[in-house]
Amino acid sequence: MEGYVVSNLLVAGLLALGIFAVWRASRSRLWRDAGRELVRRRPIALTAVGLFVLLGLMDAVAWVDPPATAAQLAAGDAIALRKPRSLLDRLFPPDFEERSYSAPLADVEFYGGRPLRHPGRHLLGTDILGRDVLHLTLKGARVALLVGGLTSLIVIPLALVFGVTAGYLGGGVDDAIFFVMSTLASIPSILLLIALVMALGRGPVQVCVALGVTGWVGFARIARGETLKLRELDYVQAARALGVSEPRIVLRHVIPNLMHLVVITFVILFSSFVLSEAVLSWLGLGIDGSWGQMIDQARNELSRDPIIVWNLAGASTGLFTLILAVNLVGDAVRDILDPRTLKERR
Amino acid sequence: MLAYLVRRLAWGAVTVLGVLLFLFLLFFLITTPDDIARKALGEKAPASVLEQWKKNHGYDKPRFWNPQHPADTMLVEHFRRMLTFDFGRSDADDVPIAERLRRGAGPSLSLQVPLFVLSLGVAIALSLLVAFFRDTYIDRSGVVLCVLAMSISSVLYIVGGQYLIGKVLRWFPISGFDPSPEVIWRFLALPVLVGLVANVGSDVRFYRTVFLEETGRDYVRTARAKGCGEGRIMLHHVLRNALIPILTQVVISIPTLFLGSVLLESFFGIPGLGSITVDAINSNDFSTLRTVVYIGSLLFILGQILTDLAYTWADPRVRLE
Amino acid sequence: MRHARRGAARALLAALALPALFSCTNDPYPAADAGVKVLYQSFDEPPKTLDPQVAYSVNDHAVIGNVYDTLLEYHYLKRPYTLIPGLAEAVPEARSEGADVVYRFRLRPDLLFQDDPCFGLDGPDRRTRSVGAADAIFALERIADPQVNSPVLETFAKIRGLRAFGERLAARRAADPAFAAARIERQYAEAGPVEGLRRLGPLEFEIVLDEAYPQILYWFAMPFTAPVAWEAVAFYDGRGDRPSFAEHAVGTGPWRVAVYDKRSRIALERNPNWYGLRHPEWKAPGAVYPTEGEPDDAASGALDPARAGRPLPFLQRIEFRREKESIPAFTKFLQGYYDVSGIIKESFDRMVRGGELSPDMAARGMRLSKTVNPDVYYIGFNMDDPVVGAPGGDRARRLRQAMSLAIDSKEYLRLFLNGRGIPAQSPIPPGIYGYDADYRNPFRQVDLERAGALLREAGYPGGVDPKTGRPLHLTFDTGDTATEVLLAYQFFVNSWARLGLDVEIAATSYNQFQEKIRTGAFQVFLFGWVADYPDPENFLFLLWTPMGRSRNGGPNSANFSDPEYDRLFLEMRARSNDARRLELIREMRGIVERERPWIELFHRESYLLADGWVAPLKPPSMAVPTAKYLDVDPAQRERMRRAWNRPVTWPAWVLLGLAVAVIVPGVRTYLRERQ
Repeated sequence: MEGYVVSNLLVAGLLALGIFAVWRASRSRLWRDAGRELVRRRPIALTAVGLFVLLGLMDAVAWVDPPATAAQLAAGDAIALRKPRSLLDRLFPPDFEERSYSAPLADVEFYGGRPLRHPGRHLLGTDILGRDVLHLTLKGARVALLVGGLTSLIVIPLALVFGVTAGYLGGGVDDAIFFVMSTLASIPSILLLIALVMALGRGPVQVCVALGVTGWVGFARIARGETLKLRELDYVQAARALGVSEPRIVLRHVIPNLMHLVVITFVILFSSFVLSEAVLSWLGLGIDGSWGQMIDQARNELSRDPIIVWNLAGASTGLFTLILAVNLVGDAVRDILDPRTLKERR
Repeated sequence: MLAYLVRRLAWGAVTVLGVLLFLFLLFFLITTPDDIARKALGEKAPASVLEQWKKNHGYDKPRFWNPQHPADTMLVEHFRRMLTFDFGRSDADDVPIAERLRRGAGPSLSLQVPLFVLSLGVAIALSLLVAFFRDTYIDRSGVVLCVLAMSISSVLYIVGGQYLIGKVLRWFPISGFDPSPEVIWRFLALPVLVGLVANVGSDVRFYRTVFLEETGRDYVRTARAKGCGEGRIMLHHVLRNALIPILTQVVISIPTLFLGSVLLESFFGIPGLGSITVDAINSNDFSTLRTVVYIGSLLFILGQILTDLAYTWADPRVRLE
Repeated sequence: MRHARRGAARALLAALALPALFSCTNDPYPAADAGVKVLYQSFDEPPKTLDPQVAYSVNDHAVIGNVYDTLLEYHYLKRPYTLIPGLAEAVPEARSEGADVVYRFRLRPDLLFQDDPCFGLDGPDRRTRSVGAADAIFALERIADPQVNSPVLETFAKIRGLRAFGERLAARRAADPAFAAARIERQYAEAGPVEGLRRLGPLEFEIVLDEAYPQILYWFAMPFTAPVAWEAVAFYDGRGDRPSFAEHAVGTGPWRVAVYDKRSRIALERNPNWYGLRHPEWKAPGAVYPTEGEPDDAASGALDPARAGRPLPFLQRIEFRREKESIPAFTKFLQGYYDVSGIIKESFDRMVRGGELSPDMAARGMRLSKTVNPDVYYIGFNMDDPVVGAPGGDRARRLRQAMSLAIDSKEYLRLFLNGRGIPAQSPIPPGIYGYDADYRNPFRQVDLERAGALLREAGYPGGVDPKTGRPLHLTFDTGDTATEVLLAYQFFVNSWARLGLDVEIAATSYNQFQEKIRTGAFQVFLFGWVADYPDPENFLFLLWTPMGRSRNGGPNSANFSDPEYDRLFLEMRARSNDARRLELIREMRGIVERERPWIELFHRESYLLADGWVAPLKPPSMAVPTAKYLDVDPAQRERMRRAWNRPVTWPAWVLLGLAVAVIVPGVRTYLRERQ
């Protein structure tokens, strides 16, 4: 199946999941109140996060136009017309490219001063291959969400399963899972990340897997600890005494009581994944099109003479804004959901 | 106490074995020895040389199971070598790995120790300051600054620091390293400064919560009720009681100082262990990478054990499990 | 309370004032070296090996070339390159013995190896010994030794019996563990002698070739043939605390390795045992600065009487410092801490205006020299591939021709190399016999119309493959995943997209890429080749069938195979540079032009910057050691460095002031509130 079809299906799935989650949450008073409080405390950061999500989704939905006309083919953009273009790409003209660098809003090329095809229309200028930096920056949002969001969406349920299983069942299962967790936790995370990417090879899936393997242990540990506590609580004991089946106890009584931890962990993991990808990009192990890669590419441009900053500025503003917004939302979420048990973790 | 120590050490040993098994699975299942040998010797190396090379590096045995000699497998060899610290030679250029790591430890430490001490000092000073002025504009803007600082990618700090301080202001050499005492500080100043700035945000935020946690406790209220000055409370009561979480942070970090910093070292050209790691990535030197990860985990586990011990020593109330 | 406030404030001040507390300097070198004739250079990748019979990369040769002297050398100034005697007394002439070709070498008398503990193997307290024909023969035999794994055995196998010697050696080692454990010189003596290596006396020997191969003399100017002491190989075996021979050089050249910390610093110092220093009265060609050169050498200052005719070397020491990143390295060059440098592309426009040094750089006393490298960069097609290669027949040829017509080398050079290079028309670069400046390859001019027509003839109208109804999909394979490299590849992909072809960049790890090349599972690739020696044979053999990559592991990565080309090649190789040779080269060029196994991209041009205190130099275009000809003026260097590196300290004070301005009102407010 073509990549863009998978991506479209994924978006549809995610949207369904999101709607379902919101619907479920809105039925509980606790979550409803927490949501209101969050909106009250961090309206701007939440809007920013929402915008990034919107951008990411827009770039993930793509389709191929019907076969091009002979005239278009002759004009030389046959390939561009046959490539799937995302909703985000469609905000820009199809041939929004120059030959090479151009400054923001410039009319001529940065080196050599040849006239541009789209004078004065590149808000953030163009990069070495003449691609619009604003366009690239916006597209970076999808990669960041993929790295941060999708990875944590996959990692957290897995960690939850392992943590809860270990904590609830105890005994040999607990020992085995605890052993795996402490083994992974004993490898310094940057080294673990590098070793994983080296061994698995380069590519978006591999990077996400590596980030996931590095990231799941912390949360699984917390989930295990909390489950240990919950297991001994009166109402769980009571449920057991009443003969409620074990899976049902876990689903009804244990997991719902861990949901606030899930939300907080999601926020923490999200920003750490995105920042880790930037480091990996710098080591040449990152994902194509990420902000980290744009920064890596742009660091050489700082010493170009005359200096070129718009590429760096675009990518680092994107990265900075997203992480800042997520951190701010995360702080608020933590305060609202969990004033005591979780201190700042590093 | 002794029984606890023994149990703790035994668990540490089991974890080390786990790490070794993980590394084996990661590195020996995914790349084949033939690939590594080809890469090291070039395309035209004759088969006999390849075989000899694989033999020298211990890559010529069956991986898991050898029907004739059950102990003669790569798995056993891997554990034997790592546990006896006989790391063998680099896949990329045949240099003894132990020798290379020994050489790298010095530069790494000379960067990490000052960075660590300064970071700790600055972070504690700043966070005390922020906690001291809590609920004033200093505290509020301090927290915002911390979040801002944490949201910037560390790569950007390095790039910016080199450009601004190295190139525009010309305070220190942009990069490089020379271990002679006369010039070493010139090379270390910039990476230490950059590392300091890059870390300070999250450090201050962490210690601030630690201090605020303490200031909320009963004994502080009691001291205040007794008419004790705020500064005295901060330094004599809060700082002293916050020493335990700080100690935890410090002890766990000490062994990993040997590992250096992958980013700082390779960007500033400091030939420490972090640099060696990056070189190993770039030259597909799996044996060196494996060893670095192993040593790193070993030090990390050591740090955890030390922390636990320090913890029980510093706070006798901590229950020995 | 007051106490506490002061403590916290003091800590803060100390942290902020840190940079100002030191007397700032960015000088990376100890003060003691300020007045010494040291040449400072940077290197990015450490040498892979110092074994002269193995080392093949530019970084290896930067060290080895200066440490190991060779029997022959290149004249420093003359172009085209001319051989002069090095350790040998004269450049030998070929002599025919029936079908065989024989060269006789005679070494200078009283040559010594550098002082080294390994000569303790000859007897206690021995630190050195004289260099003889046996050492040159030992080096040649090492090339055949399978354990050495020399990359150039193929070339030297033309010496009669050399390959068989290596096979005998391997067989005896496998059969007899006692033999394998014996000292290396005993092993060689028992497995030898080599028929084609005749030792005629302590200083004289002959090599016998099965066929005419005039290019062999060039190989005697490369470190592969540099004499090696068996004691060094036997002693430096990597056991105990002894490094391996690949990490420890024992040479005969003007320099010896003083510091070899290859991941950060390499230093070379004068070798007092070098014949040039021990016997200046010989005025040997390799030990005296030349007095004649090319016409423009006088104008450039390369024939300055301060040096011409004077004994070498001029420098005391050469310092190589590792710089992994090109930008810090170049910045340090601009600060005066490296003496010579290439130009990084990021700063090109500031350094060079209209092909000349920019006025403000010239005002700093800097000098620029340009040379076209004897190299060729090309996009190759896998000729074994059914779609783009020979099995595709006429269709595939037209496809290759069309793809060749779409690539604009000039634009590529402008975008990615600041125009440093000239578009290539054939595999042979300028400065090499057979290069024709007037030749225009009809398939190397950008012509999209013609390309489109060829694609239609090939059955891919508008780039569409009629079988699938979609644009023809090809893979462009690379083993480099660096962002910058991928950007460059994207340029070519975009060019082909204009024809309607859908070329995908398949970037994998180096290992996976090599694996693909080895098994022939690739379609399009980009490679470069840098000459080993200045002869067209060294380029044209890249398309010779026996060099095929997938079949024989040779450097013919395109797997090009054409019987007519092979026939012409053999005749061309055996000839010296005459009219017939030129004619043969033209015919071969015609085959390449039509068949298009390659899209020749460009020959690079290197720009070398040198600071004013460096004596005028002539940049070598090949990896030829020239350190002994270089000279610097340390006093001038010291002056300039001081002038260029005054630190700007005011921002530190501003920062400090700012911090005080933020803190003090806070403290005041606080005090007021609490009182």
